[in-house]
Amino acid sequence: MTNPDPVGRIVVAGLTKAYPGFNAVDDLSFTIEPGRVTGFLGPNGAGKTTTLRMLLGLIEPTSGTATPGGRRYVNLERPVEIVGAVLEASSAHRGRTGRNHLRAICLAAGLPTSRADEVLELTGLGAAGDRLFKGYSLGMRQRLGIATAMLGDPQVLILDEPTNGLDPEGIRWMRGLLRDLAGQGRTVLVSSHLLSEMQTLADDVVIIAKGRLVRQGSVAEVSASIATAVHVEVRTPAADLLGARLEKLGAGVSLTANGDLQVTDASEKQIGDLAHELGVPLHRLAAGTADLEEAFLQLTHEGATIR
Amino acid sequence: MKLLRAELFKLRTTSMWWVFALAWLVTTGVVLAVNSVNARALLKPFDQYVSIQTHGHESPTTLDPGRLDHFKSDWTAGHDVIVQAAKIYTSGQLIGLLLACLLAIVLVTVEFQQLTATSTFLTTPRRRAVVQAKLGTALIVAGLAWAATTVLSVVVGAVFLHQQGYLVSLGSWSVDRAILLNLAAYLLWALFGIGFGTLIRSQLGATISATILYLVGSGAAGALFTLLNTYVIKHNWVLSAQVIVPSTASTVMISPTQPFDYAPAAWVGAVVIFAWAAVFGLWGVRTLQGRDIA
Repeated sequence: MTNPDPVGRIVVAGLTKAYPGFNAVDDLSFTIEPGRVTGFLGPNGAGKTTTLRMLLGLIEPTSGTATPGGRRYVNLERPVEIVGAVLEASSAHRGRTGRNHLRAICLAAGLPTSRADEVLELTGLGAAGDRLFKGYSLGMRQRLGIATAMLGDPQVLILDEPTNGLDPEGIRWMRGLLRDLAGQGRTVLVSSHLLSEMQTLADDVVIIAKGRLVRQGSVAEVSASIATAVHVEVRTPAADLLGARLEKLGAGVSLTANGDLQVTDASEKQIGDLAHELGVPLHRLAAGTADLEEAFLQLTHEGATIR
Repeated sequence: MKLLRAELFKLRTTSMWWVFALAWLVTTGVVLAVNSVNARALLKPFDQYVSIQTHGHESPTTLDPGRLDHFKSDWTAGHDVIVQAAKIYTSGQLIGLLLACLLAIVLVTVEFQQLTATSTFLTTPRRRAVVQAKLGTALIVAGLAWAATTVLSVVVGAVFLHQQGYLVSLGSWSVDRAILLNLAAYLLWALFGIGFGTLIRSQLGATISATILYLVGSGAAGALFTLLNTYVIKHNWVLSAQVIVPSTASTVMISPTQPFDYAPAAWVGAVVIFAWAAVFGLWGVRTLQGRDIA
């Protein structure tokens, strides 16, 4: 039987993880394609880490499948050469050096131990490789996590909150590295709560809330899809008149504390034209930007109310 | 084999190996000194033995009958160069077996205590293979510990016995058997520790439980089964049954003399401790395979 999924494609299908009283992940399905950086977004407790751990065979799904390259992770012959993962920054023995941590993994994975030195250089940890892990800063631990993931030169990179603890220079380095890796045709899946980071880093986003898929698509598509739901702020001395007419046209209108109107379901053009028609002066007409942050908050709020 | 190499590498790249090595050598040294002092007394004629034990205050003629019987019993059991040589040459046993068990427990539980389980099981998703590699590591280290403590005990003990004017006794089957059974005990306790550590994920919980089981288990079991035999089930097999406690089973296996009344044969002790190790190990692996690594 041929495998329909290329090595780098991640397919999550009907994935569910049930715990007593709640589903951490609930019938979740999405596909991640190679050659792109995909942001995996959701508020705390949305089920991101549980999903990633099921994808990596660390948590057994209640139902459904999660496969990198068409096979369950636990069935991969040489998993570290297919998938590299960073799930927690503090995952090395505190009393072992970074270099020996990597060498131990090389030995277990059947890789040459010289690979440890290579990835230390790649991640800028060459000089700190012989320091004990307990002496590493959080940023250095994140870099060691990336180094660990890169040992097998994998096609798929899965990173859970990789920029946590990184300084601005480190974040820029990480961004460049992940973009380079995607540019080489690899699959890069990054979970994060730093939404602004995803706007500059990700090509695609998968947004989940309470374990369920809320939206998937390119960053531009997801932002555009909620553009009509973004409010327009209107300042006018005839707020009552304009507000009433907008409501009659089906727009949502609310009054802010400083007397401005907040209008939804009506564009700036529609509001401007109506004001002109009524002879109402406008002192301010500004649309909220449909950035990913706003899209994320709106969509995950909707997701939260689905159930 | 690559996993075994990785586990051995992991062990020798932290301070754990030398902490355990030091503990093995120091405790062996202490027990060796105590055993040598005891042997020196027990191998003397009875009147000198009593004098040594009472710091020169008593002799067999001045002792009350109860104490005299007690001393006589101990002296009779121990007044044999072969018995004392076997005891001295296995000085690494008393605490050494516990250390073999604790090392095995730590090999497994350190993965959870140091949060390295994630990277270990990402590298090797077949968890049974990881446990097998840890078992191999524990057995190798236990074997090395047996070798090191035995060399120390035999060299120092042989010099001591020779200086005291006794036969060194190496080559006597009773002595050689004791040394070989000591190796078997090291390996079985390491096996037991892997099973125990796999089952109980908490490092503190597993090590404390195992230490209590090892140090107190025999005494507690002896008291309990004696009470049962005296007041509830007045059959001799009840006394034999205390061999089901792991530490008692270990004692039955390695003891050159009968450790308690109606004690079963040495092989029964070996089978019991192996069975415990197998039950804990299989149960532990099954638990580990189904456990979410979160």
